[in-house]
Amino acid sequence: MPGLGTWLAAFFTLCMLSFLYKDNPFFRVAESFFAGLSLGYYIGIVANQTLKPNLVLPLIQDFSANWNLVFAGGLGLMLYFRYIKKVAWVSRWALAVYVGYYVGVNMMQKLHGEVIPQVGDTMLSLSYSGIDTLWNVVMVAGVLSVLVYFYFSAEHKGAVGGISRLGIWFLMVSFGAAFGYTVMGRISLLIGRMVFLVNEWARPLIEAVI
Amino acid sequence: MNLDRLMQIDRRIIYLFVAAGTILPIIFLLGLPVSTTPPVRMAFERIENQLEKGDVVLVSFDYGPSSAPENDPMADAILRHCFAKGIKVVVIALYPLGGLSEAIEELNKVAAEFPELEYGVDYVNLGYKDGAQAAMRKMNESFKEVFPLDVNGTPFDEIPMMRDIENYGDVKLVATLATGIIGEWWANLVNAQFGLPVIVGPTAVSAPKYYAYLEARQMVGLLGGLKGASEYERLVMDKYPRLAELYATPGLYTATKGMDVQSIVHLIMIAFILFGNLVYFTQKRKPRAAK
Repeated sequence: MPGLGTWLAAFFTLCMLSFLYKDNPFFRVAESFFAGLSLGYYIGIVANQTLKPNLVLPLIQDFSANWNLVFAGGLGLMLYFRYIKKVAWVSRWALAVYVGYYVGVNMMQKLHGEVIPQVGDTMLSLSYSGIDTLWNVVMVAGVLSVLVYFYFSAEHKGAVGGISRLGIWFLMVSFGAAFGYTVMGRISLLIGRMVFLVNEWARPLIEAVI
Repeated sequence: MNLDRLMQIDRRIIYLFVAAGTILPIIFLLGLPVSTTPPVRMAFERIENQLEKGDVVLVSFDYGPSSAPENDPMADAILRHCFAKGIKVVVIALYPLGGLSEAIEELNKVAAEFPELEYGVDYVNLGYKDGAQAAMRKMNESFKEVFPLDVNGTPFDEIPMMRDIENYGDVKLVATLATGIIGEWWANLVNAQFGLPVIVGPTAVSAPKYYAYLEARQMVGLLGGLKGASEYERLVMDKYPRLAELYATPGLYTATKGMDVQSIVHLIMIAFILFGNLVYFTQKRKPRAAK
């Protein structure tokens, strides 16, 4: 016989799937449970896995070696000043530090990790060297025509319009591939739930009853 | 046949077909063949041919239960491959909503299949850390500062295998099982700035964008969705008979079994698309004929 946890999981799974028939109170209850549980889980995991080992314990166990963590913890606390109207402006200071840090990280990350290697990988040899040359031509033509499609400072007429239309074809092919993958992804999620319902809930239940 | 009625078919009828196409292959296994593709072979061969016994692989659980049916089989296959080859595994989680739970559950499940391995010596779970990008950057300087305790609360210095691991320089490869953007960060931050080879196992939804990173050699392998996971399972089963026996265990959910369902559901969807178009164009012609 399935345990209580399995019964609960099966109940909530069926509640969520009931939306396929039509919106109903069971679906809404399950949806609210999911949102509440997710938030509770997130708070618990951040407290136990980040705040405790990386902030609280180092400060308690060896303050002199970790005193600089006071600033990090202070910045985190400052964010909550937004709930006190008179000193709400203090939270913006902390936010400014976070935004500044992540802008800096992202700027380098985008440039170093995306723009430069991706542009570099598009600079392909078009001199004949077998079948690879054909793919290189397709790649270069695809990149250039899609860039032209997104170039809005010239009217898309004549040669620009033709290249732009070619860009649309490349985009449509990529959207088709992405859609195919998306269908597979969504079906995978359905498979996961159905495998659970069949193998972990229904099968043991039927075996116990029979 | 009244085609007007077919054009108005209730979408819930289609759901019933999809449900039947999903449930029946789960009960009656088909065992359809799985062919492998270069991105997955690259990932497998990287671990199989370029890593040696005792090397360290970082496995990052960057997904939650919402994409577990896709990412779990990838994680299991990579962990089983590493353990079968004697590679040491450091597990972390950077995805907030369930990454840690997945890491604990999958690592415990796979580790139980290898009773000869010892926690803290052959594998370790360092737990979850918030602020993924910041954690990834800091790990290049010191794993210990990011993960002072493992998931059980054991201090970093008391974990035998972590004594030799200070930063990315002591790790041969990172394999991230990812939903959302965290997988991309391993490629465009960690690989780009610190040179650590990266294998990504993304959900199918986000798989297409990873091909750009793979083409640009910012990744050394890609397992796209359930199909990628099933290919990896095929490769490890072909190479390791012990794992082939394991994957044949009745009741064990595998990506290979999941792909049976995928194939049937895709056939149902293709049939509905063809049928819908057929009815649509037949209906479109009728008024012209009447005129």
